Amino acid sequence: MFYLSKIEHKLPLPPSRFVLPIREAIHMELEKLFLDKVIANLGLCISVYDIRSIDGGFIFPGDGAPTYTVVFNLIMFRPFEKEIITARLLSSDADGLRLTIGFFDDIYIPASRLPDPNHFVETEQKKRVFSGQESTTNSSSKKGVWYWDYNEQEYPIQDTDVIKFRVTNVSYPQIPVEQPKESKPFAPMLISGAMDDDGLGPVSWWFADEDEDE
Amino acid sequence: LECNAGALTNFEVLDFLRAKGASKDPTRVIAKVAQSEYKVYDYLVDTAASVQTRESINEFLTSVKQHDLAKAEVLNILNIGPAAEVELYPIIEDCDERFGDEGVLEIVELVKKTLPLPLNMKQEEITKVDEETATLKNEKGNQISQDQSEGGEQMNTS
Repeated sequence: MFYLSKIEHKLPLPPSRFVLPIREAIHMELEKLFLDKVIANLGLCISVYDIRSIDGGFIFPGDGAPTYTVVFNLIMFRPFEKEIITARLLSSDADGLRLTIGFFDDIYIPASRLPDPNHFVETEQKKRVFSGQESTTNSSSKKGVWYWDYNEQEYPIQDTDVIKFRVTNVSYPQIPVEQPKESKPFAPMLISGAMDDDGLGPVSWWFADEDEDE
Repeated sequence: LECNAGALTNFEVLDFLRAKGASKDPTRVIAKVAQSEYKVYDYLVDTAASVQTRESINEFLTSVKQHDLAKAEVLNILNIGPAAEVELYPIIEDCDERFGDEGVLEIVELVKKTLPLPLNMKQEEITKVDEETATLKNEKGNQISQDQSEGGEQMNTS
């Protein structure tokens, strides 16, 4: 889930930082620059782990700040394929689920990768839509609850549950030049997941089953 | 320079954030920890990493060598801390073919033995707290009844 990434960066240090020791000043500037940002193909930056080396400090013509060449390690959030992660439900619609892990919200489980057989109950109309069936209305806006149908029982996927999912893909979409007005905000990193296996899905399903067996 | 300079377990990241002072400052203002780092800390505190120690992880890594597990699988087991067989099946690829029922049980027992299980511990703590509050209530109840029997005037509620 977390990796160290070694990075070299040419960093101009603003004069306002000169009061601090050089290492601390550079550390703060790196945090300002990288923290909570997504770097394509590297992942989401969690923290500056350490600074390996600081070189330079030259003031280039026309610059009002010294430029340092810094080699440092960043802690990156970049799940690997087939990794199991625990998350919570953020929203649920006819297209699937959107999960959150608190510091990252762009986790999507498509309806096709939910436990099978399943059905979806729209919140507004309480109308059932079974897997393989198309909703008569525009599906993208319909909120509701997904149920796994097993042994003539319905197991809901609710926002109170801790949910386990398997990472199937991590993608870094290109920044769009133009965005339609009503489109959802651009996400620089997307995680696609699956819940179609034993032991995946809400944790309560599996431990409730064990209690019943006992 | 290096995209992957080494994988980190959830425990290592949590330990790093604790070292930065994430656990020491209840106000979340004084410590030099960013809000985004606190979000990561909040997530990790609720995982198996919160009760792990370097010793328990090293013990697990030494013991698990006898089983032919991939590095990614070991990392996943450390992060999830599976307490039951059903939790282990999605982590290990071709679980039944590679290990069989006995092998899976062995790994689960190994996890239980070497790594502390947060869910069970939390449950025990909850029941302990419940018991303590129950005994406190009983004691208070006894005190009140004693006070009343010792001639204390009782308020008329009718």
